[in-house]
Amino acid sequence: MIPGDPVSIALGPRATPEIQAAYAAKMHLDKPLIYQFLIFMGNVLQGDLGADVFSDRSVTTTMAEQLPFTVTLAVSAIGWAALVGIPLGCLSALKPNTWLDRFTGVLSVGTIAIPSFLVSIWAILLFSVTLRWMPVIGAGESGNILDQVHHLILPAFAVGLGWVGYLARMVRASMLEVMGENYIRSARAFGLRSRTIIFRYALKVAILPTITLIGIGFGSLLSGAVFAEIIFSRPGIGKLIYDMVLSRNFPVIQGAVLVTVGLYVFVTLIADLVVSWLDPRVRDSL
Amino acid sequence: MSINGLSRRALLQSIAFGSALTVASSIPGISFSSSGGKLTVRFNRDMDSLDPGYYVGGHPDNDVNWCCMPALVHYDYVDGMAVWAKSPFVDRVEVVSPTRIEFKLKSGLMWSNGYGELTSEDVAFSYDRMAQSEWKGDYVAYDRTEITDKYSGALILKQAFAPFMTQTLSSGTGVIISKKATEAVGGKFTNDVPATCGPYVMEWKQGQYVRMTRNPEWTGTKPQYDEIYCPIVTEDSAAALAYEAGELDVAQISSDTYARYLKQVPADSKLTVAGALQYMWLGMNIDNPKMKDIRVRQAIQHAVDVSAINQGAYSGTAELSSGIVCPGLVGKRNQTGYSYNPAKAKALLDEAGVSGLSLTLRTLNNQERILASTIIQANLAAIGIAVEIMPLDSGPFWEMGQESKGDTWKDMEIWLMRYGSGPDPYGAFQWFVRDQVGIWNWERWSSDEFEKLYVELVAVSEAEERHKIAIRMQEIMEETGAYVFLTHEPEVFVHRDNISPRFAPSGETMLSYFKA
Repeated sequence: MIPGDPVSIALGPRATPEIQAAYAAKMHLDKPLIYQFLIFMGNVLQGDLGADVFSDRSVTTTMAEQLPFTVTLAVSAIGWAALVGIPLGCLSALKPNTWLDRFTGVLSVGTIAIPSFLVSIWAILLFSVTLRWMPVIGAGESGNILDQVHHLILPAFAVGLGWVGYLARMVRASMLEVMGENYIRSARAFGLRSRTIIFRYALKVAILPTITLIGIGFGSLLSGAVFAEIIFSRPGIGKLIYDMVLSRNFPVIQGAVLVTVGLYVFVTLIADLVVSWLDPRVRDSL
Repeated sequence: MSINGLSRRALLQSIAFGSALTVASSIPGISFSSSGGKLTVRFNRDMDSLDPGYYVGGHPDNDVNWCCMPALVHYDYVDGMAVWAKSPFVDRVEVVSPTRIEFKLKSGLMWSNGYGELTSEDVAFSYDRMAQSEWKGDYVAYDRTEITDKYSGALILKQAFAPFMTQTLSSGTGVIISKKATEAVGGKFTNDVPATCGPYVMEWKQGQYVRMTRNPEWTGTKPQYDEIYCPIVTEDSAAALAYEAGELDVAQISSDTYARYLKQVPADSKLTVAGALQYMWLGMNIDNPKMKDIRVRQAIQHAVDVSAINQGAYSGTAELSSGIVCPGLVGKRNQTGYSYNPAKAKALLDEAGVSGLSLTLRTLNNQERILASTIIQANLAAIGIAVEIMPLDSGPFWEMGQESKGDTWKDMEIWLMRYGSGPDPYGAFQWFVRDQVGIWNWERWSSDEFEKLYVELVAVSEAEERHKIAIRMQEIMEETGAYVFLTHEPEVFVHRDNISPRFAPSGETMLSYFKA
C-alpha cells in the first residue's frame, strides 16, 4: 500500500480530528477498500473521476484539459519519427551492406540507446540556451497555433528520436524479408517499375509489423512523454501524474492512471483495426 | 519542361524554400526579458488554495494573494531587517498600545464581481474567521475587531503579542477577504476566489501558469508591470536552463545552481538572497531506548561535521546553524556549545559504555538531504556508530513523529529535519513547547524553564530582552543533547539586473513591488 494518510495530506496537519473525520466520511475513506473501489468505479461509469483534494476541482475537467497536450506530443513525436524512420528503413533494406545501410544501423542503435530525458537536455542546451531558437518551457499561448507548434518542436524531437531507430530497424528487417518473397520476384519478372514494387507491394506488407509495434509501444511513448513534459514544463498527463504523486493527490492520480490506461487500450485497438484494414488475411480472420 | 529557363524541379524547390522561409519567419521568437510591460517569474509549484484560513501557505499562494488581495500591512526592509509597513490598501495603521492596533482603509477600493467596496467589516470578518480557522495558531492573541466606521477600526488583542505585526498580519495569513463574497460561496473557497481587490487580477491554468494583469478598477498606486506571467516550472534544473535561455526574468534556484552562478553569474543577471528562514537539524528521540543516555546524544553532537555537510550537500552556500533562530532575526545565536570533535565523541560513547551501536537515520528523499545523510553516516561510522539511511517520501516523513498517525514515533532514533520560520523568533520556538510533544516536537523533551521563557518571549517587545530570552531557549534545546544544528538554507533568486525585486523574509516574491 502507498504510505501516507490521505486525510492528513488533504487537510494538512492543522485540521482538527472532527474536520478529519468529516472529510474521511465524505470521501468514503472510513469504508473498506473494496467498497471504496466500487464507489469509484460507479462514479467513473457516470463520468465522475472525483475531485482534487487541494483545489476541489473536478478531476474529469483536469483530465479534459491535460489529455490533449499529451496526445498532441505523442502523435507529433511518433509522426516525425515515422516520417524519418520508415524511409530510412526502406533505404537500408534496398541498399543492404552499403555505407548507407551501415550508417543507418549506427544511427538507429544510437537513437534507441539515448534516453529521451538526455536528448531533451542536450536539445535545450543547443537549440535554446546556445542558439536561442526554441523555447524551453510551457506549451505556448492558448489560441496561438504557431506559438504552440514552436513550443512542441523540441519535446516532440526528444520523445520521437528513439522511435526513429526502432522504426528504421523494424522496417528494414520486414522489407528485407518481403523483398525476398516470390511475388516480388514475379513482379520484377513482369517488368513492373521498382517504385511500384516497393511502395505498392513490398512496403504495404512490410509496414504491418510496424503499425502493431507503434500500437503496443504507445505505452513507452507515454513514459517518454513524462520526461519531456517535466523537463519542458509542459502540461500533460505524465507531468500531472508526477506532480500528484509527489503531493499524494490520490483522486487525481487514480483518474490520470485510468485515463492513460484507457488511452493505451484505445490506441492498441486502433492499430489492430488499421492492420486488419491493410491486410486482407487479418480482416478475413476476424 | 521549363518555364522561362526554370526547370520544373527548380521551380518546385524555389516554392518550397520560399514557403519554409515564410513559415519560419512567422513562428514567434523567444521574447527575451524586457521590463516595463511583462515580467516572467518562475513558480516552483502550482497553487493549492488561496483561502488564507485553509490553505497550505507559502509559495506560490502568498505570492498571488499579495498581488490580488488586500492586507493591512506588508513586509518592507529597513537596513536589511524585515519590518512591517502599511500596505497600499490603508491610509493609516498604528500600534497604539501592545493590545490595540488601529487602522483606516483607503476609500474607493472595490471588490471584483460586484461585491462592493473594501470596508472595515471585511477586516473584522477576515480576522474573526482566521481565529477559528486552521491557521488559528497565528491568531492566538487576537480577540476581536472594533469597527469605528466604514473604513476605520481597531484590532484588539487579548494580551501583548510581539509577533502580531511581523508574523501574523504581514504574512500570508494577514490577507483580507470579502465578507459578502465568501458568505455567498458557503464560507470557504480554494483557487476560485469569489472576489479579489488589488493591483492585479489573476488568470490560472492548472499545472501551466498564473497570469496576473493590471486590475482596471484599481485606484491605488500603480505597480510597475502591466502583466506578470508565472509559468509553473517544478524542476530546478529546467528553471535554470529556461532562465539561461532568456525565457524567465526571475527564478528561484537550487543550491547547486547557486554555487555554479556564484562562480559565473549569467549575463545581465544578479543573484539575490531573499532570506534564510529555514533551519535544519539532526534530531534525536530522547524516548528511544538507544538514545536515552544523554552522553550518546552528546557524542553525536560532537561527531557530526557541519562544515562538511554544508560543503558536500549545499556546495558551501548555506549558513551554518547554531540554533533555530534564523539569520537576521532577534535571538540569532552565533555559536554552539559543542564543536566537531570525534575524539571527544568517542570518549563520551566509552564513558556511556556503548559499543556496536546501530541507528536508523530517517530523511526526506531529496538530493541535499541524502547527501547530508551520507556525510553524517560517515561521521558516525568514525566513532563506531553504524547508520542505516532510510529515505522517505514527504507523506510518511511528515507523519512519522506524530502520535496520532501511528506508532512510528517509538521507532524513530535520529532524523534530518527542516522547518521554516517567520520573521520573528516566536515562529521557530512554537513547535518545541510541551504541548507539541508527539505533534511537531519529535525529540520529545520538555522543560519548565523553556515554557516560562516562551511565554515571556511572546509578551515582551524590547528587542534586547527578547534576544536574551531566545538565546537561553536555544541553549536549553542544545543541553537536551537532542539537536545537532546544521544549516540555514538560503532562498536564492536569479533575476535580470535591471529588475529591483522585493521578497518576503520567508522567500515568497512580492511581485507588485517589483521595479524595473
